[in-house]
Amino acid sequence: MKLSRRALLTSLAAAGAGVTAPGVFAPAVAQAKPCRIGILAPRSGIAASAGESGLRATQWAVEKFNVGGGIAGRKIELVIEEETNPKDTIERFQKLVQQEKVDCVQGIVSTGVGLALGPVAEEARALTIYWDGTTQDGVDEKLPNPKYLFRSTDNECEAVMSSLLAIKHWKGQFKTIAGINPDYSYGRNNMAAFVALLKRFSIEHEVVTEQWPKVGTMELTSHVAALKAAKPDLIFSSLLFADLPVFMKQAHAAELTKGTKLVFPAAGWQHTLMKKDFTPEGMIFGHNTLYFDNPKATALQREFVAWYADKFKDYPNWEADRAYFAIASYKDAVENAAKAKGASWPAIDDVIGALEGSSVESLGGKGSWRKDHIADQTFVQGFSTHANKYDFVTLDPARIETMYSTELQKPAGTNFWDWLKMAKFQI
Amino acid sequence: MPAAISAIANVLIGGIFHAAVLFLVAAGLQLVFGVQKIVNLACGSFYALGAYFGITLVNFGLGAGLPDWTLLPLLVLAGLLMVVIGPPIERLLRAVYDRDESFQLLLTFALVLMFQDIFRLVWGANPRSLNNVHLVYGKWTVGDFSVPVYNLLVIGAALLTAFLIGLFLKHTTFGRLLRATAENRAMAEALGVNVRAVYAAVFTLGTLLGTLGGALVVPTAAASLDMAVEFVIEAFAVVVIGGLGSMPGALAGAGLVGLIRAGALVLYPEFEILAIYLIVIGVLLLKPSGLFGKPAA
Repeated sequence: MKLSRRALLTSLAAAGAGVTAPGVFAPAVAQAKPCRIGILAPRSGIAASAGESGLRATQWAVEKFNVGGGIAGRKIELVIEEETNPKDTIERFQKLVQQEKVDCVQGIVSTGVGLALGPVAEEARALTIYWDGTTQDGVDEKLPNPKYLFRSTDNECEAVMSSLLAIKHWKGQFKTIAGINPDYSYGRNNMAAFVALLKRFSIEHEVVTEQWPKVGTMELTSHVAALKAAKPDLIFSSLLFADLPVFMKQAHAAELTKGTKLVFPAAGWQHTLMKKDFTPEGMIFGHNTLYFDNPKATALQREFVAWYADKFKDYPNWEADRAYFAIASYKDAVENAAKAKGASWPAIDDVIGALEGSSVESLGGKGSWRKDHIADQTFVQGFSTHANKYDFVTLDPARIETMYSTELQKPAGTNFWDWLKMAKFQI
Repeated sequence: MPAAISAIANVLIGGIFHAAVLFLVAAGLQLVFGVQKIVNLACGSFYALGAYFGITLVNFGLGAGLPDWTLLPLLVLAGLLMVVIGPPIERLLRAVYDRDESFQLLLTFALVLMFQDIFRLVWGANPRSLNNVHLVYGKWTVGDFSVPVYNLLVIGAALLTAFLIGLFLKHTTFGRLLRATAENRAMAEALGVNVRAVYAAVFTLGTLLGTLGGALVVPTAAASLDMAVEFVIEAFAVVVIGGLGSMPGALAGAGLVGLIRAGALVLYPEFEILAIYLIVIGVLLLKPSGLFGKPAA
């Protein structure tokens, strides 16, 4: 066969389009073909336990959805890749989109990775739903109104909620405050948000020391000694990796926790390691969007927690909820879009349109997507108690507080610090 | 005890405890480099292995009904048992003894990554820790000053280790053979020293220092996939300050790093890392061989 130059270029262009534009995003794909979802989750390093919890929830959801027919009649197939540093994760993302031709990419725990990956997802025109990563540089949104990317709630939600609880319950009971927070934007912004809210509510206070250990520091006795020397009435800490139980253990041994009020907005990421032996009762303890032992849990949460406990002899943290929310909201959007299209598989734009403003029941409660593709979810915090059947602390059932993130995160286009000064908080 | 004195004592003991932990990691690194001239990044993995296995053995032992006070013997046993990985790894490293340092670094770094995967496979991705069982030995409390006796035992173990290694190197025949091999491998070999056996023994001893250190420290901390890397970086600061290959240097370097860090955390926490590396830079500029290291010939 004689091939003209024009025909050759046309064929190459068509082939190129086939490679660069993921086939899964094309409408009306045969129903028998599985719906492929790419997952990018940390499996090693400091966020490995979060990644594991999220992966388990995704696998549970896939099994459950596949029993019910998958997504709009297509069985779900997972393609799992590891989230590591931004560069390598972006390469794996491109592999998922270009080679594996997944319908949707989900995952991402680190905001550092999320920030770098956001523009790549937009460029690739690949529907991407983050579990826990944002596209914030500090507290500033760097990718406002993306088309293909949907990202999690602001990282500061839990700090805002804990700060409000501390003000509500302990106003007038503390004056000197100290912080021990991870030395990156998350820890620094959380501490700054706490102080800003104290100012906003005219709480007289004095910051006596601020400690900034590197993420994952496992030997914190010197930090504990520095905190003890400062004699704070209250300690605010958004430690959340393996360093958190270590800090608590060393603080307990040095009697730092005795008589000191503790505000720990992200402690729930390590909840099963927060043993009663060294974790006091009465501290403000954040479980973010999933408190596994919530007495007001839905049937869905109860079913998941029972499965998780039975299968892994463990209890899930909030990353499980984030992962479930991602896949459940994607399923919901595809099926709604398909229904509107007369049951044919929807185009990516239709799925995006269906996701915007949608709400689903996630494991920890209601979750929804704002028009600017930022999630709203249900946050749970409370006061720690030893009165339970576990060897770690849970929340006092009588003192559990639930807030929806519309009360905790800045609206679209707003500066976080300005919003803290103006927002109407319900205490 | 007056409050100010208590506060200073708390800070000092915190710094010394951190120094003890650092010394236990750095000692293995120093010994292996001193004799074999290999920068063994995997010493952090041995430390992590000791920590993970220490938790397993303590949980098993206490779960089987042993009294809580057996914590320390169980941890020492865990460190001793895990030394079995030393000889096969030393056998693997023979492939790079005579090659460029970059090969040695690559191979030992590969071991760090492989160990991380093995830890995940065996112990899972979640950090592992013990309950507050280390408080079984009580606390030493005077006024506002309070320190778990176990922490003092770890400090004692680090000092004892330094003393015993010094004794071993200076006053035993095998110690003399080690020093001779470290000074001049070719000459030692020519005089009939079985260098291969010396290397195997030194590496095994270095492994023991790591596994024992990890096992002893874990009751106050936790075992996690990243712990191998965390301490190795600081251990390098210790060896640069003390002098690569010098055991007294490791002790002095660890003490200096621990105390400087503790002081910085009280006076100006933002300087925690900066203060340590300013000392490192100062030593590199003024005495490149380190405080106790021998200048390069």
